[in-house]
Amino acid sequence: MAVSHLFLQNCTGPLMIALQYNDLFDLSISTSTNTDALPKGRAFTFIKAVQTVNERLVDQNKTESLLFEVILIAKECSEEIKMKIVESVKHYGLEIGKFYFCKKEELINTLQSNKVKLFISTDRDDVYKALHTGIPAALLYDQVDHHVLNQLKVIFSGEVIGFSEDSLDSLSDFGFGETQIETFKAAKICIKEFAVLIGQMRRRFGHENSPLCTCVLTTWGSRNICATAIKTLREWGLDVDEVYCLAGAPCSPILAVVKPHILWDSGLHNMRDSSAPS
Amino acid sequence: MNKPLMKDTFWERKENQSSPSKKPKPPKPQNAITIAVSSRALFNMDQEQDIYEQQGMEDYLNYQIQHEIEPFAPGPAFPFIKAVEAVNARLRELYPDSEELFDVVLMTSNHAHVGLRLINSINHHQLFIERFCMTGGKSPIGYLKAYHTNLYLSADSLKVREAIEEGIAAATVFSQGKITEVPETQLRVAFDGDAVLFSDESERIYKAHGLDKFFEHEKAHENKPLDRGPLKGFLEALGKLQQKFYAKGQRLDCPIRTYLVTARSAASSGTRALKTLRSWGLETDEALFLAGAPKGPMLEKIRPHIFFDDQMFHVEGAAELGTVAAHVPYGIAQRFPPKTGKEVKKDLSAKHLV
Repeated sequence: MAVSHLFLQNCTGPLMIALQYNDLFDLSISTSTNTDALPKGRAFTFIKAVQTVNERLVDQNKTESLLFEVILIAKECSEEIKMKIVESVKHYGLEIGKFYFCKKEELINTLQSNKVKLFISTDRDDVYKALHTGIPAALLYDQVDHHVLNQLKVIFSGEVIGFSEDSLDSLSDFGFGETQIETFKAAKICIKEFAVLIGQMRRRFGHENSPLCTCVLTTWGSRNICATAIKTLREWGLDVDEVYCLAGAPCSPILAVVKPHILWDSGLHNMRDSSAPS
Repeated sequence: MNKPLMKDTFWERKENQSSPSKKPKPPKPQNAITIAVSSRALFNMDQEQDIYEQQGMEDYLNYQIQHEIEPFAPGPAFPFIKAVEAVNARLRELYPDSEELFDVVLMTSNHAHVGLRLINSINHHQLFIERFCMTGGKSPIGYLKAYHTNLYLSADSLKVREAIEEGIAAATVFSQGKITEVPETQLRVAFDGDAVLFSDESERIYKAHGLDKFFEHEKAHENKPLDRGPLKGFLEALGKLQQKFYAKGQRLDCPIRTYLVTARSAASSGTRALKTLRSWGLETDEALFLAGAPKGPMLEKIRPHIFFDDQMFHVEGAAELGTVAAHVPYGIAQRFPPKTGKEVKKDLSAKHLV
């Protein structure tokens, strides 16, 4: 396996992931009394899976430094809600590294100053905004049931990794707007570091029974784009476990079976697109 | 102008030009007749399978990676898939805007490490397979459903069994020694009747009460259609595509031909089979009633790309003479220990060939 020499040096220190509290807890259901913890939200299985990975990493090496660290961001919260959040985190035994309570417009600054390795959100616009400012960001896939899998699943976009730089200019021929193309370019820049880190983490485990599972998903690209993505990730030190090439088939039915937690989105969706990850 | 992107995606160009170099867009799964094929069904991976079984996963994956640029040789389902693609080419000519086409999906629980070698092999053999799922060891059943799979072919009988239990038409294919040459321009599919196109209800009677009772029963119930079997839907799908050729005046040289190859006899029990098909609005191009005679020689004459049967005895018999035979693990025949060739020969001579 040929690994670029630039990445042979192992990263030390935590792999920081930022999450928003309204993804971690479900705010649509009103709690009856003040002492109830907030109901579980869409990010719940994600955070449990992250904790499983950390446990297994520590099991193997007590001094392991490449662990996940999750920070929680809450925009525009009342004091009451702030308390509720902290209590709920304690109630569920969630390992949250830091809490950031900030104003709406401070989100990007908070992410930048903490040098997060990944910001995930169910809000597509938040993800794109973050990407445009150079912050690696991906979709938090909405796991419909709260069945906890003992495996953290990460999907990398085959298009983002597989399309070459030169091809990017012809994207406008396909009806994609400026912003969409910018999002794609930004994702292409950000995805590499994250992939390298995940690759290092993934190598701590064997082929079978790994708590971390990595996938490539190509929604519109050809099989050769997919092949390029697999090869490129391998060069970056990540051998993916699963590969899905959809060639325009609707995304949702496939994603419902894959059940990822983290989903890198290419940002390119036509109006007619039935294969937009959702 | 050099547009490298065009051949690499399935987006529609804004200007709506149809350029000759444009790759045909795969149809939406719900509109197409989706055939899911596993890596060992499509390609010959016997050597690699041996390594996996004898030396384990690590050695297997290393071997695959080392031989990554070597394309696999064709496997048992390969001629079938090539013929399916030939049908698609004809359909695209006649109906350029239709999505009623075959769609071939590579559905493998192989690890993505093998992915590059598989993609290289698809490229080498110039197959039109753009959709695949490499599930890294997880069950493919959920994906089969997500793709509205009409037929699943795999070398793994457990997965095939699971698929059938989930209501998906499926059959197990096996590595074969000699394979008879099959036509390239006409897709030929042969089906057994009981427990394949039809349910196993009559076979149960034969197994429980013997041949005479079976004949009596079938005669008495001649006009009552049999229940459907696991592959009825696939025959139906083939029939729909055949209609599209007939509509364009291509009945005589239709590139799809179907065959019923059954142990029932024409004079008696066969009538119920034909009437059942008719009641479903279906037909096969040819119906061969063998009255218990071995199927191998007849299939050798027909030269189908694939033959579906629920009994391993018939599957093996067909394969010995060069027909790609796939086992449908459904019905009562699975619960009785397989008879040896000797036992069956004894049986046959005692049968009344009515």
